Amino acid sequence: MTTGPMTPFDHRPDPRLGEALRAALEPGDQAAFVARVVAAAARPARTLDVLATWARRGLAAAMAAAAIAGFLVGRGGEPATIPEDTLAPTSAGAASIAFVTAARPPDASVVFTTLVNGSR
Amino acid sequence: MQPEPPSVQPPEGPARIEDEAELATRARAGDRAAFGRLVERFAPQARRVARAVLQDPHDADDAAQDAFLAALVKLDQYDPRRPFGPWLMRIVANAATDRRRRRTVRQVEPLAPELTGGGPRPDREAEQSALGDRLRAALAELPNRRRIAVVLFDVEGYSHAEIAQILGIPEGTVRSEVFHARRRLRELLADWR
Repeated sequence: MTTGPMTPFDHRPDPRLGEALRAALEPGDQAAFVARVVAAAARPARTLDVLATWARRGLAAAMAAAAIAGFLVGRGGEPATIPEDTLAPTSAGAASIAFVTAARPPDASVVFTTLVNGSR
Repeated sequence: MQPEPPSVQPPEGPARIEDEAELATRARAGDRAAFGRLVERFAPQARRVARAVLQDPHDADDAAQDAFLAALVKLDQYDPRRPFGPWLMRIVANAATDRRRRRTVRQVEPLAPELTGGGPRPDREAEQSALGDRLRAALAELPNRRRIAVVLFDVEGYSHAEIAQILGIPEGTVRSEVFHARRRLRELLADWR
């Protein structure tokens, strides 16, 4: 498809190339296509389409919430457990307070050691 | 409001922009006939641009339809002082490109040996058909943006500035894309005279 004096640098449309491309891309029945589009535009949105849209939005919101929650939990780090020093206080009362106020239960071995030490 | 008969030729230049703006305003207000006129006016180029992107004519028509429906929803974003075509073609190009990304990639059929030269020259009609096949295959080898640029420029007659607006790229890039597309198409079609 050479077009005589025209070169790829030309800033004018190439009529011969354009005509050949137009013929190659020419679609079929225009009237049927127009009727199809106009009919589709007149059709109300189907319930399932609406529900699917809602479901997609809900899923996206849930994923975002999960990501934010994950970030916040991860940022907080491991909740502190009770260090052994705290559980070996001079008085049994302080140890009991530490047990009650700790965010996580202490390791069983720590509790056992504390109890054994306390009973001596 | 009565729709105008389809045989009426659209006006040219500023009158055309005004006419399209009026049709768009009426369509936005719910005038189905006005929307039909816009579809009728722009369907051929929308379908060609979509086909340049997607190759498959059914996919292309689905993408063109999606684009018209999306345009109808977004009509409030259309600036009536500007031509309707570039605004719509941007939606068409995006719809077709999205569909191309989503669909399972179909392999482009290799050119038949008789289309690559050397075989006996078929009659005129078969020749035209073969040229069409060859051009579509040649287009399919181009990167998507290049393909759209050359079709919008050489087939649809949009200016470089309008294509830049449609594709959201600088005008210089459009010139480069058209240049490379033409060069490649001419190489592929060099022996076709």
